[in-house]
Amino acid sequence: MTDVLFPLMSGKADATGVIVTWFVESGDQVTPSTLIAEVAVDKVDAEVYPEISGVITLLVEESKEVPQGAVIAQVT
Amino acid sequence: MTTTLHRKDQSLALPIEPDPGKRKLSTAKAMQEAISQRMARDESVFVMGEDVGPYGGIFSSTTGLIDRFGPERVLDTPISETAFIGLGIGAAVEGMRPIVELMFADFFGVCMDQIYNHMAKIHYESGGNVRVPMVLMMAAGGGYSDGAQHSQCLWGTFAHLPGMKVVVPSNPYDAKGLMTAAIDSDDPVVFVFHKGVMGLGWMSKNDRSIGAVPEAEYIVPIGKARVAREGTDVTIVTLSLSVHHSLDVAEKLASEGISVEVIDLRSLVPLDREAIVRSVSKTGRLVVVDEDYQSFGLSGEVIAVVAEHDPSLLKRVSRVCVPDVPIPYAHALEYAVLPTAARIEAAVRNVVAT
Amino acid sequence: MTPSNAKSLTDDGRRDLLSTMVLIRTYEEAIRLAYYADKKPAFDIGAGLVPGEMHLAAGQEPVAAGICAHLTTDDAVTATHRPHHLAIAHGVALRPMTAEIFGRETGLGHGRGGHMHLFDPSTHFSCSGIIAEGLPPALGQAFAFQRQGNNRVAVAVTGEGAANQGGFHESLNLAALWNLPVVIVVEDNDWGISVPRAQSTSIASNADRAAAYGIPGVRVEDNSVEGVYAAAGEAVARARSGGGPTLIEVHTLRLWGHFEGDAEGYRSDLESVPERDPIPIYRDQLLKNAALTDAQYQQMQASAVEQVNDAIDYATSSPTPDPLGHLSYVFSEGANA
Repeated sequence: MTDVLFPLMSGKADATGVIVTWFVESGDQVTPSTLIAEVAVDKVDAEVYPEISGVITLLVEESKEVPQGAVIAQVT
Repeated sequence: MTTTLHRKDQSLALPIEPDPGKRKLSTAKAMQEAISQRMARDESVFVMGEDVGPYGGIFSSTTGLIDRFGPERVLDTPISETAFIGLGIGAAVEGMRPIVELMFADFFGVCMDQIYNHMAKIHYESGGNVRVPMVLMMAAGGGYSDGAQHSQCLWGTFAHLPGMKVVVPSNPYDAKGLMTAAIDSDDPVVFVFHKGVMGLGWMSKNDRSIGAVPEAEYIVPIGKARVAREGTDVTIVTLSLSVHHSLDVAEKLASEGISVEVIDLRSLVPLDREAIVRSVSKTGRLVVVDEDYQSFGLSGEVIAVVAEHDPSLLKRVSRVCVPDVPIPYAHALEYAVLPTAARIEAAVRNVVAT
Repeated sequence: MTPSNAKSLTDDGRRDLLSTMVLIRTYEEAIRLAYYADKKPAFDIGAGLVPGEMHLAAGQEPVAAGICAHLTTDDAVTATHRPHHLAIAHGVALRPMTAEIFGRETGLGHGRGGHMHLFDPSTHFSCSGIIAEGLPPALGQAFAFQRQGNNRVAVAVTGEGAANQGGFHESLNLAALWNLPVVIVVEDNDWGISVPRAQSTSIASNADRAAAYGIPGVRVEDNSVEGVYAAAGEAVARARSGGGPTLIEVHTLRLWGHFEGDAEGYRSDLESVPERDPIPIYRDQLLKNAALTDAQYQQMQASAVEQVNDAIDYATSSPTPDPLGHLSYVFSEGANA
């Protein structure tokens, strides 16, 4: 099982971000080339891809505040 | 006449409307992918417009392209729409396949001559001897208080003027397929994308802006509508963001036993008149939902299509459009003029009531 | 200063310039005759063999001859509502050109375009009836040539009135910014229909506007074909070698009205016009310098008459388009193709 982390995007360590869009749902099969989320910190966007293939479980809702580096999903 | 840089016979035969698969994208990302995949295959394709480079397009139509293809193929222009749209025309005439972005459809006023008197007319005036294989893409639509000069749809205006194809995708799957078809077409294609269907994180989102999109290249044919939802009691003919609201209304009314068929036009030029007539022949009741201005435009055209074919088909007809007013700024006023789900529902109930 | 790759004029070259001018004038005179022949007794603009508006370039021959001498048919030329001189000098075939002006099926555009919308892809020639709007597409042709890595150029011709239109300024800026291989030529014939330049333009010479965009600007006076030839030679060489755009303004002469049927009552310089006709002026200059004989000049005229008569005969004996084809050519495929 691998944790999918909210990327580190801002030099300010305490800057939080949001999941803007989930492109998958819990239970979906994903691979490293599957776009799983678009996230944002201070209006700067980033795309998130998993590092392994497997079944994904989402842990955070869209639009909720998330600290950078937090676990946002898991892939088994 | 053959073009020097791009030969039609070199383009691959692409699948037409294949299975969507499981991989999801936003409409914006689907457009980016279509452009990117075409640019990778064909060096004559390039992108030009304001803020399309590092910024990635104001509404994310070109995000990531400059990183992949460089500033020679993704060009930021000065604020000179007449000059750079005209430049696109000339480059297309000489064999390139430009994708030119007009930042907002509302800005056509400063450059319309190049669009309707040149891009759209050169093929005809030359008796078919000169082709203009160009895509003119533009953001349209309101709902986020951008005011009268930045919220218009205007696709009816472009559709009204001969010589340019006009496509208006409502969802990611159609966006990628229509963009690929538009780039591939030897005719000038106006590609209008509603900001509200792009799936942008900084606008209020709707679920249908994210959807399954095949990873390989494919075509959605220009000129073909799609039955977004089958029904028997009433036909909604619509496009763009209004497809989403219409589907929401149809789902709600299904539980009351009202069966609504929703036709997503997808293209305005050519207009899929057969699809409109086929549906209204079945239901006899027509609601046209169009976020463009009501009078002298698309909604009248759709109704005329049915009336010319056979006026007795129509038991009832209604249209839900932006009335003939500049789009207001204040939220409550803006939402009074937009074709909201509430207005659509009221129109549908109205036409089935009798 | 002459760039090392500019051609310098020989007497042969001079005679070529004159014979191009003679061909153009002969053509314009013939079109004029055909245009008026059947619009009597009262002038009806839509009637006759050659209907519609007609904008003839008599007097502006030096611009066309002087510039096109430096071009091949691989180079692009975009012209205006007054395009015939440039089309002829650039090498557009007279038969399909005339057939198009006469609205025939055998015309360049199968009769769909007409006199202001002549498109000849084989010579990359096009024109537009909208003031200044032919410039942006010329930029695009130059852009494509630049990307193709050849040394072809685009020449965009417009009028002094157009130099006050937004598209003109946008085009100069973008051409300069992107260093496009384009030459922009302003034909200053003193009149924007009925409005003289002093009443439309805030400065005396549009060549001075070039500095605002950081490109060279040259004004050629006296409608001098050799002056145009020299300026165009430098500009075309500059563009071909990657040196970017040039703005050339030529003070030329509109010998006749803005359009045929224009009574020119507004025109204060009418009396001086005949003596400024550039063809007798240049002919006499060449005769005087022994670069031309009377016999050679007569031969030029005879040849021009023969070519022009052939084109007009071809056009008048060509079929008119089938009205049932009115929807054809809207698109390249599908309905209305």
